[in-house]
Amino acid sequence: MATIELRDVVKKFGDKYAVKPMNMTIQDGEFVVLLGPSGCGKTTTLRMISGLEAVSSGNIFLNGKDVTWAHPSARDIAYVFQFYALYPHLTVRDNIAFPLQAQAVKRDVIERRVKDVSNLLKIKHLLKRRPGGLSGGDQQRVALARALVRHPAAFLMDEPLGALDADFRETMRAEIKALHVAQKATTVYVTHDQIEAMAMGDRIVVMSNASVQQIGTPAEVYHSPTNLFVANFIGSPGMNLVKCHYQGGKLTLPGGSVYVPAEGWQKTLDHQLGDNQTVVLGFRPEAARVSGEPKISADVFLVEMNGSNVLLDLHLDDDNIVRIRTNRGVNYGLGDTINFDLDPQMVRFFNPSTEAALVME
Amino acid sequence: MANILSSGKIGKKHLSERGLVNLFIWPTLILLILVNIFPLFYSIFLSFNNYSVIGNKLPIWVGFQNFKDLLTNEQVWNYFAITGRYALLSVVLQTVLGFGLAMLIREKFKGSGIITTLILIPMMLSPVVVGLFWKLMFNPGYGIFNYLISWLGIPLTTDWLAKGDLALWAIVLVDVWMWTPFVMLLVLSGLSAIPEYLYEAAAIDRASSWFQFWHITLPQVAPLVLIAVLFRSIEAFKSFDLAMGLTGGGPGAATRLISIDIYTRAFLGQFKTGQASALAVIVLVVIIAISNLYITALNKAKES
Amino acid sequence: MNTPKSKRPEVNYATRVDKVTFKSKLTRNLKAILTVIIAFIVLIPVFWMAATSLKSRADAVAAPPKVIFEPSMEGFIGLLTQRRQVTAAQGLEEIKQDPNLKWYDRVMLNRGQQIVGKSEYVGYLKNSAITAGISTILSVLFGLFSAYAFSRFKVAGKGDLLFFILSTRMLPPIVVTIPIFLLYRQLGLYDTTFGLIILYTVFNLSFSVWLMQGFIDEIPREYEEAALVDGYSRLQAFFKIVLPQTITGLAATTVFCLIFAWNEYAFAVMLTAQKARTAPPSIPSVLGTGGIEWAQIAAGAMGFLIPVAIVTFALRNYLLRGVTFGAVRR
Repeated sequence: MATIELRDVVKKFGDKYAVKPMNMTIQDGEFVVLLGPSGCGKTTTLRMISGLEAVSSGNIFLNGKDVTWAHPSARDIAYVFQFYALYPHLTVRDNIAFPLQAQAVKRDVIERRVKDVSNLLKIKHLLKRRPGGLSGGDQQRVALARALVRHPAAFLMDEPLGALDADFRETMRAEIKALHVAQKATTVYVTHDQIEAMAMGDRIVVMSNASVQQIGTPAEVYHSPTNLFVANFIGSPGMNLVKCHYQGGKLTLPGGSVYVPAEGWQKTLDHQLGDNQTVVLGFRPEAARVSGEPKISADVFLVEMNGSNVLLDLHLDDDNIVRIRTNRGVNYGLGDTINFDLDPQMVRFFNPSTEAALVME
Repeated sequence: MANILSSGKIGKKHLSERGLVNLFIWPTLILLILVNIFPLFYSIFLSFNNYSVIGNKLPIWVGFQNFKDLLTNEQVWNYFAITGRYALLSVVLQTVLGFGLAMLIREKFKGSGIITTLILIPMMLSPVVVGLFWKLMFNPGYGIFNYLISWLGIPLTTDWLAKGDLALWAIVLVDVWMWTPFVMLLVLSGLSAIPEYLYEAAAIDRASSWFQFWHITLPQVAPLVLIAVLFRSIEAFKSFDLAMGLTGGGPGAATRLISIDIYTRAFLGQFKTGQASALAVIVLVVIIAISNLYITALNKAKES
Repeated sequence: MNTPKSKRPEVNYATRVDKVTFKSKLTRNLKAILTVIIAFIVLIPVFWMAATSLKSRADAVAAPPKVIFEPSMEGFIGLLTQRRQVTAAQGLEEIKQDPNLKWYDRVMLNRGQQIVGKSEYVGYLKNSAITAGISTILSVLFGLFSAYAFSRFKVAGKGDLLFFILSTRMLPPIVVTIPIFLLYRQLGLYDTTFGLIILYTVFNLSFSVWLMQGFIDEIPREYEEAALVDGYSRLQAFFKIVLPQTITGLAATTVFCLIFAWNEYAFAVMLTAQKARTAPPSIPSVLGTGGIEWAQIAAGAMGFLIPVAIVTFALRNYLLRGVTFGAVRR
């Protein structure tokens, strides 16, 4: 098994950065998800780890060994491609056997390992077919089998579920996670789907605009985003971000409501902002607690039934909307005015000019 | 009412389209039938007759006599053997060299487009002119062929076109010069159609260059190589111009390809029209057989 | 920990790790050099042809071959003219006396020959041009219409018909020539340009249908359907929508047909004698007239090489389609 380390890794296409200096260490057996919108450099990063893309500068270490300029085949990693990249002229069996045949593994060993892995992925009945005729999910299983059959030091997966139907995606998500739990193999997984990232990752690396925004556990990136991008990108819907006026220990929200943050935050804000400043207040939809007393009041603009809960779109004023989750037991009419309080544990603040999160002192 | 009207209109339009289709297709079909199919059947008819265009006699039905005469004639078998040898040698060499050249040119470099195009010029030239010109190059006295080879330190005074075996090789050489680019062009298109991700997957799967060549490149371009071989084999059996320009079938009858033999029988000397037709029919059967062989192979290759 | 070589240039483009190694770059350069060398070797006959066409009669047959020589237009002039033998003295006298002599007259007089008229080859060239030109126009026209019909309409037995059309091209010319020869003699078409034009038209027709169909198939039907909805008739839609869009394909097809017809030898040698004879079968016969005139033969060959070289460049993106009947499109 393996540790992977990136040290000041950079990729440029011409003058443009595809990946800005990146540092990251992935522990043995860890499942790390590279998450970000398309074009953020996450796939490029994965390809650099595999050697399918040469770095512009910086170094990549596998198990402490510098493999920056090593051939992909010298890295002992398996790569699962977004569109599977199965060999169209080979049968499923030969596709799976390919990595072993390429290493001139003995025939009976190949036979046994292909059998094992196809049992594991439930594709035994497909072995004689060619990939062209298989469904997306089956092709994905074959691609996984081809990666698993070698027992590589690490798995790199590039949006492996991106081309699948939504409901099938959830099944495969569980299967891949289960495989990881069983195999304990270091895995780097690229996706643009934050739900997938939250569900699967031990740690998530949030990327945007060619640079890392935050590295942390799913809980960390969800509850304590380091900047506005992460706050907005993670969660569905993302964190509510409201530009407020802060003065004398009180926040004035758009629309006039006044919110008094916890004492710890007051000190931090006083300290870091000085008097009479603008600050971005951030809270998750589930941080809101509807109450009788008028803390923050807003008008119901849209009601979205989500089964177990209700998502309300609220107008603070004409330009500012916040979204909160409430119990499904209560019915709200459009235009009703609602008063709500915030869970003090779940309140975050961001500097509007640097976009970075403020840290409570 | 409106319904009936509109449906009537559609019917009329449909009819006029049918007319248009007929108008567009039939002239072509009629021309092809008149100039290709009718003569073909006429040829088959003549092949069963004793007939000469210069004799003032009508064709006389002789059944399979022409075929019997031809197929029991050792010389005819010899001409077939010459044609077969020429076809085999040139097609094999073209395929191997064309494939190699395509592998070489595969990776683009500055100016590779122009170089590729330059290499393709020979196949567009008129074979008879090419044949004629190589005749000059092969001349033992003032030809450039021996002269250039002597630069390599091998002094040669060989008269390539004067000795039987060499003359055939000379034709093969020129044919290879002309048509290797054709194979190269087809293989190149096959190579460029192989998606890069297959090689990426193979690199990840730790396949060596050789392994990748045998297990990815070769199977992926196989159908196009087969198409190239099919085209070239048929052309080689039809070959006439090049040998006419280069050797005229000589020396003696050493490079008398089967089509030259037919030409000689039909248009020179005795004008044995009936017999020449019979030989033409035999050649046609051979070509159809080769085509079928390849088409079967091609379909198999396409299945996979 | 080993650090990367400090001198390694930054890789600021998409490429695999193993493609930027020194070894890989070296291989790539060696391959490029080898390719250039091979291209050069392949083109030696072409260079040689061009060189010989510019040689004097004596230089063309010099042994060992002359790589450096004084260029002369003798070959070209000789090919296109008929001449009378004169003595060297007469020739010089002639040059002195007649100030109106053209440059080509002087060239030949210096070689002791007086130009008395055009050669037969000029007539053959004219025949070639007429035959190739008219037959090409016809086969492209017929081909265009048939291809359009095959591409856009349901035609009963379409696959079989198309295969039939292709198979006619696979017929060895020799198989059909004998009966056509008989037929033409009967109809008085033997050794006529008209007879040859019919033959070339059909010879290129199967090619033209297949190639054009490929091009028309690539034009989305929606354009025409939109035109039909807008009230155009099929024929109008064809002329206003399809034709302008297929103009490159049409040009490529035309040029291919032209080259095939221009190069054709087998039919010409068997079905013409003198009156309608085209250039390809007549170049070898230059061999016969008064010794081997290699410079003239080379000059004649240039008449085939130059158009072909131009065409190869102009059509380089369509060559693959052209030589495989549109079966392979890249």
